[in-house]
Amino acid sequence: MHLIADILDEELRDSRGKNAGRVDGIVLEVRPGKPPRVAYLEVSPITLLARFSLRLAQWYAKYDARLGEGRGVPFRIPWSRVTREGPVLKMDIDVRATPINALEDWLSRTIVRRIPGG
Amino acid sequence: MKSKARDVSLGIVTSIGGFLEIGSIATSAQAGAGYGYQLAWSVVLGTICITFLVEMCGRFAACSGQTIPDAMRERFGANFFAITTAIFLAVSLIVLAAEMGGIAAALEMATNVPIPIWAILVALLAWALLWRGTFSFIENGVSLLGLVTLAFVVAAVKLHPSYHQLVVAFLPSRPTHDRAHYWFVAVSVLGATITPSLYFFYSSGVVEDKWDETYVGANRIISVIGMGFGGFLSIAVLVLGAIVYYPRHIDVEHYQQLPTLLTGAFGHAGFWLFLVCLGIACLGATLEFALALAYTLAQGLGWTWTEDSTPHENARFSLTYTLCIAAAAIFVLVGLDPIQLTQIGMALTAASLPIGVFPFLILMNDPDYLGTHTNSHIGNVVVMVISALAAVLAVVTIPLQIAGS
Repeated sequence: MHLIADILDEELRDSRGKNAGRVDGIVLEVRPGKPPRVAYLEVSPITLLARFSLRLAQWYAKYDARLGEGRGVPFRIPWSRVTREGPVLKMDIDVRATPINALEDWLSRTIVRRIPGG
Repeated sequence: MKSKARDVSLGIVTSIGGFLEIGSIATSAQAGAGYGYQLAWSVVLGTICITFLVEMCGRFAACSGQTIPDAMRERFGANFFAITTAIFLAVSLIVLAAEMGGIAAALEMATNVPIPIWAILVALLAWALLWRGTFSFIENGVSLLGLVTLAFVVAAVKLHPSYHQLVVAFLPSRPTHDRAHYWFVAVSVLGATITPSLYFFYSSGVVEDKWDETYVGANRIISVIGMGFGGFLSIAVLVLGAIVYYPRHIDVEHYQQLPTLLTGAFGHAGFWLFLVCLGIACLGATLEFALALAYTLAQGLGWTWTEDSTPHENARFSLTYTLCIAAAAIFVLVGLDPIQLTQIGMALTAASLPIGVFPFLILMNDPDYLGTHTNSHIGNVVVMVISALAAVLAVVTIPLQIAGS
């Protein structure tokens, strides 16, 4: 398996098959005397922005933290809970139990639902 | 089987109805006005290229279950996706503004109320249709109304064009005057015909409609017949430009000149018919462009997206098309001329073609996505050559045109 080609930027689904974003980053664990291994996948705009500019990511993280518990830092999914299913990666966690969709929910609650027809 | 036949016929009809927009109407009319039939080859070339591209996009989405922006990010990474998307967003916003300007221009000519005042109402109308409408409503409803643009074909036939000269002009020829302007108009026609938003919208539609590999044949029929006949509409506009403007040495510089395309064949009724054609064609294109922008961002960034659910279920997606329409409305509100916006938008579209098209061709040759349905050599060569030609011409002629004017 090639981490960059096969994992990074891949689409992620949750335990119900619902959209859970994309793999924005991969966290490796460095072990003394052994090869590094994949520890977590990160799904977060903070991780994505950090790939372009660390300063931009830090600036955004301050606002992201206001979206609630678990936000303001990248959300990490243990690698052991991820499997490949066809063209997508699947985690055995319900996306509703994670902060992945916090921005979507916040926008939906505070803006979209208040507009007629939203 | 019946359902597939229905999908094919509906797909063909909506492809034809949705083909014309302000870009193709204005640039084809300018081509006819400036050079008679001589630039018909640019419409033919653009139509061939968009037919291949639409077929490829549909095949890709049907076979892989993924859309193009989705696969672009996956295959080429976030940095590449960010660069191509930024260029696509910038160019498409200008084109979206031109389409909204087209609707406002039709309303201005009908009422004498100035374009900037209509800008807000046009933006609200387009937004409300997307906010409340479903994908099939946008895809089928508005595009079916677009069949009114067949009036251009009827008008062209009524004015008895020289079919011999037209067919001869299907092969490229060198200009006899205003060389820089000739190539610039050719580039604008190519940019108006090969619109990336069209095939991004189409590939998203394939996923929205849940097509699979069994639709590969149907997709081919729809793209070839739909786009082919769509190209005829552009040719008809060019023919009208060649008959109405060219002999009188009239250049199309203002949108107020355009209704005369139909008054020659239909008298005063042609004026109103043109306004209806322009308004409906631009409305359809506005909805498609706004959706294509939202689709691209949502698919690349991993948001939930579909036009078939209520806006609060896809808040980021819905707010993206809302913001795009609002941003484009500002261009119209400040009084930028729709024809100028169209010219800039179409030339920039042509210049940026290879940035999106070349990586797309790499995807189309990847068996991981397409299995046994990867591209043939002929498809690769045709799309690569035409896109490169359009981009080179654009890069050369845009500065010449700016310097000339």
